[in-house]
Amino acid sequence: MTIELSNVRFHYPERPKRWVLNIPSWSLSAGEKVFVHGPSGGGKSTLLNLLSGLMPASEGSVTILGQRLEQMNSRQRDRFRANNIGYVFQQFNLIPYLNALDNIRLARQFASRKKAGANDNEIKALLSALNLSEKDWRLPARNLSIGQQQRVAIARALINKPQILIADEPTSSLDQANRDVFMSLLMSVIAENNMSLLLVSHDLSLSGYFNRVDDLKEINHIEGLA
Amino acid sequence: MFVKLAVQSLLDRKGSVLLSLMAMTVSIFVLLGVNHIRHQAKDSFSNTLSGVDLIVGARTGSLNLLLYSVFRIGSPTNNISWQSFQRIASSPKVKWAIPVSLGDSHKGYRVLGTSRDYFRYFSYGHQHALAFDQGRVFDQVFDVVLGAEVAKKLGYQLGDKVVLAHGVATTSFSLHDDRPFTVVGILKPTGTPVDQTLHVSLQGIEAIHVDWQHGVRIPGRVNSQKEVEAIDLQPKSITAFMLGLNSKMATFRVQRQINNFKQEPLLAILPGVALSELWQMMAILENTLLLVSALVFVAACLGMSAMLLSSIREREREIQLLRAVGAPPGFLFMLVELEALLITLCSLILGTGLLMLSLLLAKDVLASHFGLFIKTNIFTESSVYLIAATIMASLIVAVIPSFSLYSNARLGSRR
Repeated sequence: MTIELSNVRFHYPERPKRWVLNIPSWSLSAGEKVFVHGPSGGGKSTLLNLLSGLMPASEGSVTILGQRLEQMNSRQRDRFRANNIGYVFQQFNLIPYLNALDNIRLARQFASRKKAGANDNEIKALLSALNLSEKDWRLPARNLSIGQQQRVAIARALINKPQILIADEPTSSLDQANRDVFMSLLMSVIAENNMSLLLVSHDLSLSGYFNRVDDLKEINHIEGLA
Repeated sequence: MFVKLAVQSLLDRKGSVLLSLMAMTVSIFVLLGVNHIRHQAKDSFSNTLSGVDLIVGARTGSLNLLLYSVFRIGSPTNNISWQSFQRIASSPKVKWAIPVSLGDSHKGYRVLGTSRDYFRYFSYGHQHALAFDQGRVFDQVFDVVLGAEVAKKLGYQLGDKVVLAHGVATTSFSLHDDRPFTVVGILKPTGTPVDQTLHVSLQGIEAIHVDWQHGVRIPGRVNSQKEVEAIDLQPKSITAFMLGLNSKMATFRVQRQINNFKQEPLLAILPGVALSELWQMMAILENTLLLVSALVFVAACLGMSAMLLSSIREREREIQLLRAVGAPPGFLFMLVELEALLITLCSLILGTGLLMLSLLLAKDVLASHFGLFIKTNIFTESSVYLIAATIMASLIVAVIPSFSLYSNARLGSRR
């Protein structure tokens, strides 16, 4: 299993009685493309933060690529995330004052030494493959269109050759045409790199791109918890 | 990449960063300026005189005597008679005596009437004797030897004619224009008030005042140059004199004898003791100035810290992104510390550059008006320590925003 959740519960420390997540069991297999949908404020982003190790679960076990995140310290989780998980956000995917190349180099900086060896040629090849024209590579990210920024974000998520790609509402700021282009590109990249994909969104029209569609309400059983 | 991220981040917030940079630059300018000037003032005063055992003048405060006789600051209260000088100078305990006569000037530079012994015995710094760049010691009544700065600033060469003015004002209407002096020597630079001085013989001083009484020319009395030279030009009074003794052991005894001199009320001072009195007086002022400038620096540091702290709130999404790509909390802590360090280093470069430029521009004014010879190179041992302290202080103050960011990142991890 690529991702395995077992009896995972989560609440924010300042609100110990208000459970946000209660997932008895959930998993994602290698190479699987899973779409998790749910309403805004339903805990989608919190789930992704638990899976990426940005926040530890209050209870239960989160196993990613055979390693239990709760048994790692903060530094180990940061390094594990840099090495194994690519992240694409809804917006503000890039540091606005850095150019495309530097944004990707930055992600490489935090990977382990072996992966950090990826050179600039690799970055340029990736950007070319994602159809970002060379004249835009050195522009500050804020000067790129939203569509271009999303492509750079994919390149950044892929640079450390992660086994899992997590996308948090990546199409919510794109129009219909750009959304389709982005999704096609994302799916081809996932297929080429043989990665697992977990995408969360409230937009059910995306479900056609995935092997599996989960409703967060069905996997997150918070009703009845004190 | 780490440094590039910090630099680009600062450039992205150039408005607030620039204001912080300016505040830091001004505070560093003030802090290093006060420190440099107080050390240089001490060095400048201490290096002006060397090997002089006693300075003797009319009875006044010891500081006043030191300031007017050596540093050409202020005015003498009274003159002392030539007979008293001769009597003391002829004492077997005295090795040499240099008479000093002040009161005239040339284009704002003081004129010093003295004897040829001045060029033989007067020394500055660590026993450096005066040396000639061109020419020789004055020989004739109307010969003048220029200090290095006077010759350089006024563009005088050997053989040029110089007209002295009565009094010490920068612009004087009482000129001794009937008796010009000829430049016969130019001294090498010393970095002391000697550079700002014109040296003439005591006879020269007497000669230009032959037709003068009470500071004004006597109407209708005009003696020719030849007639003046024929007159007995032995001085009747001088402003002060410096003594070198045969034995240092006798210094206090000679000082006591001069202070109890029956014929005339005189004061003999030890230059080192008078200087230390001056430092004691100045210590409160200089420490206060240093404290104020340190407080200005602390205020600027706190301003920078506040700017960095508020920027953290503006950069919440950027920080979230950095965390998502694997940046540990320690990286974020170091990022803010590096930003503070970069602002401080830029401020140090600007502040020191501005200070050196200001010193270069104010050098002449400080030398001519206050007798202070300030070097423009501010990189002394104490200033290097101060620079290191400013860097340390800015890093310590930046711990506030750095730690805030670090703990937010850690809290995010614990949540």
